[in-house]
Amino acid sequence: MNSSTTNRGFSRRQALSALGGGFGLLGLSGVLAGSTAGPRGPHFPPKAKHVIYLFLNGGPSHVDTFDPKPMLTKYHGKPAPSGNLKTERKTGTLLASPFPFRKCGQSGIEISEIFTELGKHIDDICVIRSMHTERPNHEPSLLMLNSGHVLPGHPSMGAWLNYGLGTENQNLPGFVVLCPGLPVIGPQLWTSAYLPATYQGTHIPNNETEPEKLIQYLRNKQISLPEQRRQLDLLEKLNRIHLRQEGDDPQLESRIESMETAYRMQTEAFEAFDINKEPKAVRDLYGDGPFARGCLLARRLVERGVRMVQIYYGNGQPWDNHDDILIHKKLALTSDQPMAALLGDLKRTGLLKETLVIIGGEFGRTPAVEVSGLVKFQNGRDHNNHGFSVLLAGGGIKGGMTYGNTDEFGFQAVEKPVHPHDIHATALHCLGIDHTRLTYRYSGRDFRLTDVFGNVIHDVLA
Amino acid sequence: MRLLGLLGTLALASIVQAQRTDSIEFFETKVRPVLAKNCFSCHTQAKLGGLEMISRDALLKGGKSGPAINIERPEESLLLKAVRQTDDKLKMPPGGKLPYAEIESILAWIRRGAVWPAASKAQEGYHITAEQRAWWAFQPVRKTEPPEVGDRAWAQTPVDRFLLAAMEKRGLKPVAQASRHDWIRRVTYDLTGLPPKPEDVDAFLRDRSKEYKARVVERLLASPQYGERWGRFWLDVARYSDDQLNSTQDEPYDNAFRYRDWVIQAFNDDMPYDVFVKAQIAGDRLPGREKMIAGLGFYALSPQFQDDRVDVTGKAFLGLTVACATCHDHKFDPIPTKDYYAMLGVFTNTTLGEYPLAGEDVVRNYKAKKAAVDEEQQKLDKFLDEQAKELSEILAYRTADYIRAARGVINEKTGLKEAAAAAKLDAGTLERWRDYLSMPSHEHSFLKDWKDGGKFDDKAFQKTLLDVLAEWKDVENKNYIRLGGSNARNDLAGADLLSLPREKWLLWRDIFSAQRFGKFDTGILYYKGAAIDRFLAGEWKWRLDNLRAELERRKKEAPERYPYYHIVEDKPQIRNERIHIRGSADNLGEEAPRAFLSILCDGPPKAFTQGSGRLELAEAIANPKNPLTARVMANRVWYELFGAGIVRTLSNFGQLGEKPSHPELLDFLAARLVEHGWSLKALIRELTLTSAYGLSYGSDPKNFTEDPDNRLLWRANRRRLDIEALRDSLLAASGELDGKLGGPPVSLTSEGNKRRTVYGFVSRRKLDGTLSLFDFPNPNSTSELRTPTATPLQQLYFLNSKFLMDRAAALSALLSRQPGNAERIKQAYRLLFYREPGKAELEAGLAFLQSNDKSWPLYAQVLLSSNEFVYY
Repeated sequence: MNSSTTNRGFSRRQALSALGGGFGLLGLSGVLAGSTAGPRGPHFPPKAKHVIYLFLNGGPSHVDTFDPKPMLTKYHGKPAPSGNLKTERKTGTLLASPFPFRKCGQSGIEISEIFTELGKHIDDICVIRSMHTERPNHEPSLLMLNSGHVLPGHPSMGAWLNYGLGTENQNLPGFVVLCPGLPVIGPQLWTSAYLPATYQGTHIPNNETEPEKLIQYLRNKQISLPEQRRQLDLLEKLNRIHLRQEGDDPQLESRIESMETAYRMQTEAFEAFDINKEPKAVRDLYGDGPFARGCLLARRLVERGVRMVQIYYGNGQPWDNHDDILIHKKLALTSDQPMAALLGDLKRTGLLKETLVIIGGEFGRTPAVEVSGLVKFQNGRDHNNHGFSVLLAGGGIKGGMTYGNTDEFGFQAVEKPVHPHDIHATALHCLGIDHTRLTYRYSGRDFRLTDVFGNVIHDVLA
Repeated sequence: MRLLGLLGTLALASIVQAQRTDSIEFFETKVRPVLAKNCFSCHTQAKLGGLEMISRDALLKGGKSGPAINIERPEESLLLKAVRQTDDKLKMPPGGKLPYAEIESILAWIRRGAVWPAASKAQEGYHITAEQRAWWAFQPVRKTEPPEVGDRAWAQTPVDRFLLAAMEKRGLKPVAQASRHDWIRRVTYDLTGLPPKPEDVDAFLRDRSKEYKARVVERLLASPQYGERWGRFWLDVARYSDDQLNSTQDEPYDNAFRYRDWVIQAFNDDMPYDVFVKAQIAGDRLPGREKMIAGLGFYALSPQFQDDRVDVTGKAFLGLTVACATCHDHKFDPIPTKDYYAMLGVFTNTTLGEYPLAGEDVVRNYKAKKAAVDEEQQKLDKFLDEQAKELSEILAYRTADYIRAARGVINEKTGLKEAAAAAKLDAGTLERWRDYLSMPSHEHSFLKDWKDGGKFDDKAFQKTLLDVLAEWKDVENKNYIRLGGSNARNDLAGADLLSLPREKWLLWRDIFSAQRFGKFDTGILYYKGAAIDRFLAGEWKWRLDNLRAELERRKKEAPERYPYYHIVEDKPQIRNERIHIRGSADNLGEEAPRAFLSILCDGPPKAFTQGSGRLELAEAIANPKNPLTARVMANRVWYELFGAGIVRTLSNFGQLGEKPSHPELLDFLAARLVEHGWSLKALIRELTLTSAYGLSYGSDPKNFTEDPDNRLLWRANRRRLDIEALRDSLLAASGELDGKLGGPPVSLTSEGNKRRTVYGFVSRRKLDGTLSLFDFPNPNSTSELRTPTATPLQQLYFLNSKFLMDRAAALSALLSRQPGNAERIKQAYRLLFYREPGKAELEAGLAFLQSNDKSWPLYAQVLLSSNEFVYY
């Protein structure tokens, strides 16, 4: 799947023969120079076709959510026998989780009570409890989880997936990012960087509720659709005359097609983003608020063939609870139900089989209390890159299991450690891609989402 | 016997040697990483406790507590005691005890004699092989005679002879020349990023002189729009932006545009490229420094998130990926890690600075006045905070009265003002209590009985509140002492601080804090800013008014900030970098004296001696003897004019880059660039007047089969207008383009912005939607080229953007001066396409317009969206 950096001079016949397909199968615009959005196909038969990545930005605490540590209760208020690991700020004695954990589902995996609804789906979920990453700071960790590098300037996973597989629906962007406002660092997290711009994430501010505010230039309030149709008919006529005079040029032809797609997109995307089209019962299932709307939108988009939808929980870094871990409970109030509803809805519609769902943040939090506030009470936790949890579910994933472990207090991944590179490798594997072969040659070097690292975690595959 | 003895000695020697190799291996794999992770951050440069863990000798010397290792009695080594944590006073590392296996490795290593090689193996004995030296890009530029060709009439220039010879060798023939009208459109876009004016096209079509093309080229090169176009090309490479990538908020750099304008001006002045390079690396050290120093923005505006300065230097000027050698010797190119740190040292010995564009007195005056404002502001803030705290405590002593009154207001719907007057309370404060008490829930439990009217004890609550306040003050005071009398953020990290219990803290926050919580701007008894005025009287009020008046006076006196260039300056103390083994700052290897890349030096690199070494670096790069600098730039110019580089990886001429399609031609151009005093205009002139540049887009099946990628340049490459040319063309077509040169950036989303796109605000944090839609590069790192796409989302811009519709409306207004639709259509084609419409085009237009009068803007929009408009 190498791509040369120049598209010019690529003939229609070449393009088609390279893909082994015909017009009818692929649609000309999908494969020709300039428009590279058409499906290219995986390396091997995929289990999943789509990814929904629910990003709880800020660093949700694993020991208060998906990684129970009874030892914290036992040693609450006492120094950790093994000492604290170095994180961003100073931490003190161990802090028990204020939330009880309960066994869930047939598998009996323990989940914190703040995620009671999500816990009901545990038998479809694989809890990876041995995540670790490089830095205890938001920016590099956000970049790592999204683009496999700690520095900005590399394509995000959604961009890679669209580059590798194309989108199934020309009428919608292939990589949609929903966030009310912006997470820390912002658009760098969904950039296509050196991949063609067509693969970049389309950011939708889902605090907006009107569909036309969601996509740039989606609607024309001055020109009616029939009038626009007339415009397009004329445009095509003029473009065809031009094309005839200029001789066959796939670039020009591709733009003619692209224009038609854009026309259809107006209706289709508008419809896709209009959650009022959902029955009230379904909307109630998800609840209200941007994150809930995001989850529902994610289902609608995946249903329509969008390759990857990523939803950030909120503006800034809501899960960054340095002072008070009890705030996690408030955050869960507006995320537990929507996440559970999404999994249930995907399952009900059969989409879960072909959709990989990833839930997690950029790192976890320390089992020890943070002590760096001046006169704040000390009930929060610092960033912890040494150990945290990520949840996988759906297409290609074995549910009802845990994988790996942190130490007895939850400081550090000790058993079967998993790096974000491994998550990326595994996610790509579920989508039928060998992560070592999804490369893009830029400035003379082959780049990968997983850089030179990453192992598929075969134990979690269904 | 003697022979045997000798053999024995030899054998022993080789065993010793093997053991040493083993020990090195053991140290590198088992011990150095452990020390690097746990010890080096405090015991290398920082030398805590006097201990510097950088060599065996340094460990034997030890620190304040004595030698760190004891080779004779390894078990007694201080280092071992420290990591075993058997001694109460000496427990290392502070974060916790090392795993058993790591401690044992350290012991085993000391037992084996604590072998510590001077440099890690990666740096040992690096030498550049003959094969690496032989790489084409490192060979001196050799200007060869252009080859003989068959078709002398076509190949009249040396450049054409190189190209045609390559084609003839493969049996290819160039397609026909482009029409005059295609040629002038192409050259005008390429040189200025704008469409030609119809009158320029007319004049060109009429020009029967031999120099008809040269005249156009001269005119375009002399126009200021040339710099706007070519400057932008360089700004892609320079990852120029008007702000910084701040994590959470916008951080504009108000003076960044001065670098952008300097680049544009440099192109317009045809500043020799070698000088252009030097100015950006060491403009402060050049003759004519006032004209050069703004070039330092190249580094002064670097992304702050990462140190990309070596990366951008390598790629932009040399076409080398030097930064690949950050962690290990470059895997493909002859760039040892040491070279990376040698170059990095040049940049780490510089700091960011400003070069004021105002006299010293102006700067001094600004700084003094600014300081005076800040000082007075602080005084005012402090006074207000003190009064607010004091007042909140005073009010807290009447809590029970307020709560009683609030209960009346809430339960019996008594009027707020009446209730306040009756109980002699402050109405505003009562209102706050009412709102606070009416909240559906509180985060603490002190008010849990509130709703249950009978049980709630107003007096007891008042006492709790005052107790919590007293406790808060106590904790605050104690913490202040623990922090050594300062609450600067850095001191927090190490301090062991007290805190209120959670419940009490939340109560304190709700009532007394100056910070926002929930829907309240502050704690309910904390009166911020002007809200406090009504409580102050007498001398207090006088003091407040006085502080405010003084602040106002000082603000009025303070001048606006003077303009300045973002520059870099050498640090006063120069220090070499040391190699970061495997890229880890905790694992330092040998020193890397500041110097140029080994592969580009005659003999061993000479250490730089002048300050940071920037000028020496600049001179080594911008040097006719440097085989890369001229080649890389000549190739960039080629790319901009022909749509593909001779080397298509414009910023990578190393092993992983692409080899040149026409090596001799590239050398010829590089040599010409130097010969013409590094004049880019001269190079552009030479290239635009070739037959190759004048080719049509025509097709040829035979050529196509032989060379589908058009590497031999048998035809012209058709290109989509980039976003700058596209947006500028739309404005030009509707007669609205504001040609003002230079100045502060203007947001591209602001409606009245009709200036050229190069002056739009470029953001690292949140790139403008239209820019990113149309393949503008990510300004967080250097970009070698843009990859044009034609996505449906882009087409939505043509269909629906207000910008396009506004241009269409303006264009149709412009055309309305013509009588009748047919004349208007013809005029539109003349303006946009420099030709008469064909019969079919005219008829299609007339049919479209017949339906109604409102169709004109719709029609204009179609023309502005057409392929003929968007491609060139």
